[in-house]
Amino acid sequence: MYPNNQSCQQNRFPGALESGILRRQFLGQATGIGGLALASLIGETANGNTTKPGENLPANLLAKNPHFAPRAKAMISLFMHGGPSHVDLLDPKPELSRMHGKEYKGDVGYSFIKRASKTLFGSPFKFAKHGKCGTEVSELLPWASRIVDDICVIRSMHTGHNGHEVSIRYFHGGIAGVTGRPTMGSWLVYGLGNPSHRLPAYMVLGDPAGHPVDGASNWSSGFMPPIYQGTVLRPTEPRILDLDPPKEIRGAPQARDLAFLAKINQIHMRSNQGKASRPDPELEARIASFELAAYMQDAAREAFDLTQESEYIRKLYGLDQAKTRSYGERCLIARRLVERGVRFVQLFLGGQPWDNHDNLKGTLSDICSQTDQPSAALVMDLKQRGLLDTTIVHWGGEIGRLPVCEGELSATTGRDHNGQGFSIWLAGGGIKPGMTYGATDEVGHRAAVNVVNPNDFQATILNQFGLDHSKLIWYQNGRAEQLTAGTKPRIIKDILV
Amino acid sequence: MSSGLILALISFVGNQSAVPSNSKNVPKIHFETEIRPILKAYCLDCHGGTDKPKGGLDLRLKRFAVKGGDSGTSLVEGNPSASLLWERMSQGDMPPGEKKVPSDQIALVERWIREGAHTKKTEPELLPPGLGITEEDRSWWAFVPLKKPEVPSGPNQNPIDAFIGKKLMEKGLGFNPPASPRELFVRASLVLTGIAPDFEEIQTFERDKSPDRWLKTVDRLLGSSAYGERWARHWLDVVGYADSEGDGSADSPRDHAWRYRDWVIRAFNRDLPLDQFIQEQLAGDEMVPKPWTNLTPDQAETLAATGFLRMVPGANSADGAEQVMTDTIKVFSASLLGVSVGCAQCHDHRYDPISQEDYFRIRAILEPAVNPGQWRVPGQRLISLYTDKDRAKAGEVDARIAKDMQKAAERESVLVREALEKELQKYGEPLRAKLREAFAASGEKRTAEQNELVTKHPNLVISGGVLYQYNQQGADEVKGLREKAQANGTDKPPEGFVMVMDETGVIPATKLFYRGDPRQPKNEVLPGDLAVLSPDLKPVSIAPRVPSGTSSGRRLVYARHLTSGVHPLFGRVMANRIWMHHFGGGLVDTPAEFGRLGQTPSHPELLNWLALELPAKKWSLKSFHRLILNSKTWQQSSLHSELGDKLDGGDVLLHRYPTRRLEAEALRDRMLAAIGRLDKAAFGPPIPVVEDISGQVLVPDDKPRRSIYLQQKRSKPVALLGAFDQPVNMVLCEKRVVATNAPQALMLLNGNFVHTQANHMATRIISELEKENSDNIDSVMILERTVNLVWQRVLLRDPSTEEKALSMELVRSQSAPGPVIEDPVSGSPAKVAESPKKLLPGSPSTGPAVPIKPKLPEKVAIAHLAHQLLISNEFIHVP
Repeated sequence: MYPNNQSCQQNRFPGALESGILRRQFLGQATGIGGLALASLIGETANGNTTKPGENLPANLLAKNPHFAPRAKAMISLFMHGGPSHVDLLDPKPELSRMHGKEYKGDVGYSFIKRASKTLFGSPFKFAKHGKCGTEVSELLPWASRIVDDICVIRSMHTGHNGHEVSIRYFHGGIAGVTGRPTMGSWLVYGLGNPSHRLPAYMVLGDPAGHPVDGASNWSSGFMPPIYQGTVLRPTEPRILDLDPPKEIRGAPQARDLAFLAKINQIHMRSNQGKASRPDPELEARIASFELAAYMQDAAREAFDLTQESEYIRKLYGLDQAKTRSYGERCLIARRLVERGVRFVQLFLGGQPWDNHDNLKGTLSDICSQTDQPSAALVMDLKQRGLLDTTIVHWGGEIGRLPVCEGELSATTGRDHNGQGFSIWLAGGGIKPGMTYGATDEVGHRAAVNVVNPNDFQATILNQFGLDHSKLIWYQNGRAEQLTAGTKPRIIKDILV
Repeated sequence: MSSGLILALISFVGNQSAVPSNSKNVPKIHFETEIRPILKAYCLDCHGGTDKPKGGLDLRLKRFAVKGGDSGTSLVEGNPSASLLWERMSQGDMPPGEKKVPSDQIALVERWIREGAHTKKTEPELLPPGLGITEEDRSWWAFVPLKKPEVPSGPNQNPIDAFIGKKLMEKGLGFNPPASPRELFVRASLVLTGIAPDFEEIQTFERDKSPDRWLKTVDRLLGSSAYGERWARHWLDVVGYADSEGDGSADSPRDHAWRYRDWVIRAFNRDLPLDQFIQEQLAGDEMVPKPWTNLTPDQAETLAATGFLRMVPGANSADGAEQVMTDTIKVFSASLLGVSVGCAQCHDHRYDPISQEDYFRIRAILEPAVNPGQWRVPGQRLISLYTDKDRAKAGEVDARIAKDMQKAAERESVLVREALEKELQKYGEPLRAKLREAFAASGEKRTAEQNELVTKHPNLVISGGVLYQYNQQGADEVKGLREKAQANGTDKPPEGFVMVMDETGVIPATKLFYRGDPRQPKNEVLPGDLAVLSPDLKPVSIAPRVPSGTSSGRRLVYARHLTSGVHPLFGRVMANRIWMHHFGGGLVDTPAEFGRLGQTPSHPELLNWLALELPAKKWSLKSFHRLILNSKTWQQSSLHSELGDKLDGGDVLLHRYPTRRLEAEALRDRMLAAIGRLDKAAFGPPIPVVEDISGQVLVPDDKPRRSIYLQQKRSKPVALLGAFDQPVNMVLCEKRVVATNAPQALMLLNGNFVHTQANHMATRIISELEKENSDNIDSVMILERTVNLVWQRVLLRDPSTEEKALSMELVRSQSAPGPVIEDPVSGSPAKVAESPKKLLPGSPSTGPAVPIKPKLPEKVAIAHLAHQLLISNEFIHVP
């Protein structure tokens, strides 16, 4: 700690960075001659994104024009990894119930580690029609049932792989099982830049129970520069450690420090740049991270301040109940981030709560009771604020679960992994509301009608952001890389407004 | 660098669309190289892999495809549409189920047939049953036998430079000029030891004009104990080291894990040859004769090395034992073989020629020690480090304590009796006598009347515990006797334990599990290596000739086989790992995945050469480091160039030394060392970490031990280290992610750790300045001197003119305008500081005249400067 005798400076410059004068002074210093990372990496003016073949978009965070008029500006992905059981949640299968306890005649696309049987296991949960559209939803999701007229349920998701890792990599990086690739959020930031000066464009909200499988690979920028990485928030306050400067350096002293740091980092980066036209991407990204950090001291604190929300909103997201509070807070923060210009927010869960190998009845009910209300509240809230039109909300995992039971059929049986067919839902950002799309076979094992794989999903999301997946290219040592590299994807036109 | 089969195929198709397929420039497609992998992934499970192929159709050879099955021929050369193989595939009929052949791969099959369905070689008439291992499988770069390639001729003396230089030249690139001596010294120190030298050492180095100054310096760095602490950390990542069990939210401490950590550090420091390094970890228990009593320190170390086999989390109970077995195989294959055999736990690997039998052969090597069937919890694997002498001494001390305690107890009962008698005096006879009798009688022998008496007179129930209520002095006396007895026992030698993975003498049969399910064991499998690595495709049997003692001997025999110097995977994996820690990226950038799902080597010949150079150097890692450190490749500067960035973005060809950030531990250690605070004490139990009120995990009291000695709890990474990507090791970390984000910047800007260090640095600077002769210098000169000193201490050089001006301005502007209050850290007496303006000639001054002897700049302002330099890019990156 610095000695407290600096407190007098506090009186001279109350809230220096907030005051505007010093902010300009700080920026003026920080962006001095030679340009500075944030100045070059973040800006208000949009620039084009047409490049010559073999050339990447400039590796900066300047706002960039999309390929065509976008429908969506932002996306919140409620990633439910572990494998939510579609046949118990969003994909009713009367035939499966009828065949309950009988032997499945087809081949089970089994998972490798656990022990799928061949005994069909009808859902122990009741489905009912909801809303004007009449989409059938399980009793486990009473809140999702209330938003069916605003969402599109896709019942024909398919990765072809039952493993968590293989499928989650497909969803994030675009190729099943392959790591080291940029994630979808990175591609969005690469293609569109950061519309916010004050917050990272790509943020990840972690769970108290830990990171998902594969950890930081889920928000990695892979072979792209680190400026496109996701920024992870802690699951509880403080969401970001050390967000506040010690009080004796707050304001003007820190502004002077930052200006100095920026300058010496610039000198260092330029001397390393030699005669190259671009500086070192890691050094540049590091400089930008300090500038963003300076802004975040104010902006993030404000964005995380849920006391600003009315009692009605806090209740809507379930902040008043122990079960829903944690996830509700994160959903609410996600909305606040999107309101403040963040491009892509992804929520993860720790401890694989959807991975219901055992005791499906208990464990599935439990995770639904924690996440259903906040997820639906997010859609309702975005809608009432007029934000749903331009914000995609995605709810879904990387796989689903098998229609057969695991081990013996009993009161506490569970289901094994199923990447052959499962359900997700999308809302907002030009996705057609109040519909279902695609179907699995009669027992829900395999996607059978209008199959959607993660590349189709990604191509469709990019399309809503005004990006053509086949034109959003990153050249890595001469090789053209794109997000949807696993297959030749199609945009799911039928689900678009 | 291409990454994996799928990508390779896509780029292949990409080529096809760019150039007409009848062009002579396009390489022909062959069955063995392009088509069979597709068929293997999608078709051969039914059409070739089983004894009776479905529909009578066997697709393992082109010849068989032409011959066809029940529906007639499946392949007509030159005519895709007449070929059922392509037709059923392209129409989506085959394979059945949801997993279809991707369209680009179908296109490849179409083109192959159209071109005439070529094979590379004449196919055999018949094949033995099963998918087997094809010649193409065996010719995958990682599986082919090691053969020393010829070093490219040319101007480069060092073979590394010859290989790297050749590829650069092919691209029209060359090496960067060498980095400056200062940069090289700092780079070598950071890479080898994880801490930087100090300014004076650099000056000595720069002044040294002897031709062997570099070699001397490298030798000195390799000889410092910090080298082992640095390189042990790399190995601990890939074996998944932690000081906790990872058993859910409890995450209980794993108390004796640190002995393995210490063994690894010592092994690096004494340059334990790599073959022995591996042998001791796999089979240290088989090298130390039983019984394990009176162990020498060396023997205890060798036993501790087996900690390698019990790094993975979990399983204080038998429930998780199977998971421990699975994860241990994961660590084993990632660290030693560089292939993920995990896929083959349940079925033959779909991409690599690794069968389920292979997986269980490896399990059979480890199973006698891990033994999930007869699970031993951690406590059951501890061996006492007491010698007979220690034990005798401990017995002696225990007896002495017991005797003294007995004396105390006797004295206590005397006092209790006295107290009772005194109380009884308060009662008249005959009640007194009755009471005396009742309290003297033991519980069960009391009569009903006596029981009633006892219940009615609780005040007479006197024991040692309540003695003080009756006789304070007496109670104190007893307490004193007991304390003295304990205090007399401090010469009892502390008992240490080492966790050993050994066998019990009963060798469990390893059974292949149907679909990987332990409840469905099938045939027994004997230990062996991957079949693909053997020239005759038979699994390499590693059954030992003579089992050693109570051990099966399997692990030691396998370890020797692995480190024979010719193992194709082991040598490449190790050479690649060492390379990765020198350059930030490996020659294969998926260091634990050398199969088709990983990347292919950027410099395959160099990798082969290095893999054979390891045994050629008698497995000495220090010699291997010298080879790398003496190369132009390693010594070149990190300057960017337009052409280099264009042709070699990502620095794969190494036209420059790649920029990289210090890892979490090195970042913290370097800061502590720069300030002169780093506690160089080595080894021993980890420094426990604590959680503060906000949930931030910290090192208590900012203890300045090296980061490798901090407790590594899987659920509670130290905040600073976690933010900079220290792995939590839920199982293992094959390669660290390098994140660059704003939360890291906030931690460096606002976090308590860096502030504390900056303040320490300021204290150090002031004490150095105070020792200097400041006669005849003015306030500008002393400010300049201060700034120079901070730069020298932190960034190990003098600032440039521009940097100096900026720094002086910062120190001026961060000085407090008011009177300085007593320094709360140093506690030095209060002195009224002049306004900083007065230090500056020419500044408007309203106070008294400029003092004769200039005062030092304020500590707080120096701390500001030190802080910014400590978090500058120059400090946190390898130069």
